[in-house]
Amino acid sequence: MSSLFDVLPATLPVLLAVLVLLDRRLLRACSLFVLFALTVALTWWRLGFIWLALLETLLGAVLTGAFLFHALGISPARGASPARPSHGQDPVPLIWRRTLIHLIPVLALMGMLAAALASLPASDSSPAVRWSGLVLVGLGLWAFALHTHLLRRLLAFNITGTGIFLLLMTLVGETTTAAGQGLVITGLAVALLGTALGALLIRRLDALAPSQQPSPVNGRQVS
Amino acid sequence: MIERLGLVTTQLPTTGSSMMTLLVVLLPLLLGMLGGAWRPWRGWPGLVVALLSLLALVWLTQQIATHGTQAWVLDLGTLTLHWRANGLTLLLLLLTQLLVLASAAYAPAYLCDAVQARGRGPAWLWPLMGLLATSLSLIWLAADLLSLYIGLELMGLTAVGLMLLPGREEALAAGMRYLLLALIGSLAFLLGVALLLGGWGRLDLAGLAEAVEPGPLLWVAMALLSAGLLLKAAAFPLHAWLAPVHGSAWTPVSALHAALVIKASFFIALQLWLVLAPRAAMAAWLVGGMGAAAVVWGGLLAWRADKLKDVVAWSTVSQLGYLLIAFPLLIGTSQAVVSIAWGGVWLQLLAHSLAKAAMFLAVGNLMLATGESRVSGLAGASRRFPLSLLSFGIAAISLVGLPPSAGFTAKWLLLHASLAAGQWPWLVVLALGTLLSAAYMFRVFRYSFVEDVELQDYRPVPLRMDLIAMALALASLLLGLTASWPLAILAIAGGVP
Repeated sequence: MSSLFDVLPATLPVLLAVLVLLDRRLLRACSLFVLFALTVALTWWRLGFIWLALLETLLGAVLTGAFLFHALGISPARGASPARPSHGQDPVPLIWRRTLIHLIPVLALMGMLAAALASLPASDSSPAVRWSGLVLVGLGLWAFALHTHLLRRLLAFNITGTGIFLLLMTLVGETTTAAGQGLVITGLAVALLGTALGALLIRRLDALAPSQQPSPVNGRQVS
Repeated sequence: MIERLGLVTTQLPTTGSSMMTLLVVLLPLLLGMLGGAWRPWRGWPGLVVALLSLLALVWLTQQIATHGTQAWVLDLGTLTLHWRANGLTLLLLLLTQLLVLASAAYAPAYLCDAVQARGRGPAWLWPLMGLLATSLSLIWLAADLLSLYIGLELMGLTAVGLMLLPGREEALAAGMRYLLLALIGSLAFLLGVALLLGGWGRLDLAGLAEAVEPGPLLWVAMALLSAGLLLKAAAFPLHAWLAPVHGSAWTPVSALHAALVIKASFFIALQLWLVLAPRAAMAAWLVGGMGAAAVVWGGLLAWRADKLKDVVAWSTVSQLGYLLIAFPLLIGTSQAVVSIAWGGVWLQLLAHSLAKAAMFLAVGNLMLATGESRVSGLAGASRRFPLSLLSFGIAAISLVGLPPSAGFTAKWLLLHASLAAGQWPWLVVLALGTLLSAAYMFRVFRYSFVEDVELQDYRPVPLRMDLIAMALALASLLLGLTASWPLAILAIAGGVP
């Protein structure tokens, strides 16, 4: 029972990340991302990093989520906007061969990382978190290479970043917790600023170049 | 090697030098904020105040020349940050202040008379420029990985913001690509830092230099750190984003980006290699090979480029290759080789920064005056805009590496070092690079000396814009005549072993 209680908070973000990255509807993907950030905050709390949990909730879930929805053209004042043209570039339909080709370099990188991590002492408190961090890094990079849609790439970037933060905090020892937290907080701020800049850019690009043929909303593409 | 980077020191900083350093770091930011609030249409009032930080820097140089390298340890609760200032730091700080000052002096005339930019873009230029100067200063001063990470991120995001300011569609599209690449680069950097922190439990460079031991962990961490930094520095296989980004950016922003932002990533990469893997000769040869490919490929692309700004941007890729050749010359070689190459690489960085900033400003002037962005549009420029073309020419002398310029001195030192190390491939690369850069520079001149063209409508740019470009170009030329001065600064505080 207790092992399940340990493993579940670590695997929940991974499951949600898979859903975020593979969902064909951008609106649902963004909503799932907010949920993902909340589960990560839960993981921080379980690991005993209260400050990181609070910051993850504030910066990762609330503000990043707000900017993602802004990129979709949804604001709390106006509610969901009516059918808008597709945002940014159109999503390329998922093709299995493409998917697999992009998997190879990511797997190579994961192998390198795993080899490097193998030479480190195992994390005594949270081995599951380290693994889920590693998987999140791989998933995010794979999705980043695979997708061409700008918003999807921002999502993938955020998930990779979260994976790195989780990995980092399982690597730090007792004496270097402050340094690790400094790095993660800087990283969180950078991720938020990057996402905000990207979201504003997507909106500007949309406004400047209304797409020629309005394709179905939210990235669904008739393939 | 870490003595040369000023990382080994027991010298406690004096209160005066701490205050001055803080002034040098923070004053540009403050001025940037004020500039954003008031939007100066003339450069002079701000410049007079900005001279303060130059004076502070001169005073700091005096201090360090007499007292030697200074190191700061900042305790923030359980977190410790390390900064240091030595001769190299001072040179880079001086370069940053000079170039930011030149761009700031150039910008009001450019925005007001030339581009007639309106809206919120020009208001954002000043705070972002100040932030850029502050983050660059932080990078030069930082002696631990957390400070470096903060500086790098601040610089990267600011650079993206500056590139986006024109607000046109192609600027936004290029900026988006740049943003995504910068974010991926910073993730790779962070992952590398995480591995180092996990492996050896510390972030200060001096401590890491003693603690690290070769192994798979170090190699993977170094590969990640280098990949992230070289992506941001537009090193050879990762350089494709550079030209589109410059193509649509404002001229003073392009000048700052090519002269400083790219150099900062290179500086961090070289510093990390020298600290963490000072004997990894094989891997350094790999980076040197990338540099050689960059020299040739960048030169070829610059030669073939259709647009003026693309010529200058590809030339940056090519010139950065010379800097990458420093890796095999500094890593795993004898002390004699290192002492020659050390001066060569930093002189090359200074020379290229000054010349490239001058060249971007001169090209910007030519493009504004002729209303053409293509090389072939320069026909007849030699008669109508002799001053702009002269600035371009003087900057070109330094970039090609002809005798009186700093570019020549730097290449001479690099040549000498590769002879001393017996690494003859770099001789071929240096020769080939010189020929290629001469080829693409003379191509521009060939068009501008075409005389038999109809008089088209053209408008001369304000004189001060030409003068600033000329001043930077002359600085890159004169630096060659007084090259002993920067080399002496490198030596006094760098701590000659």
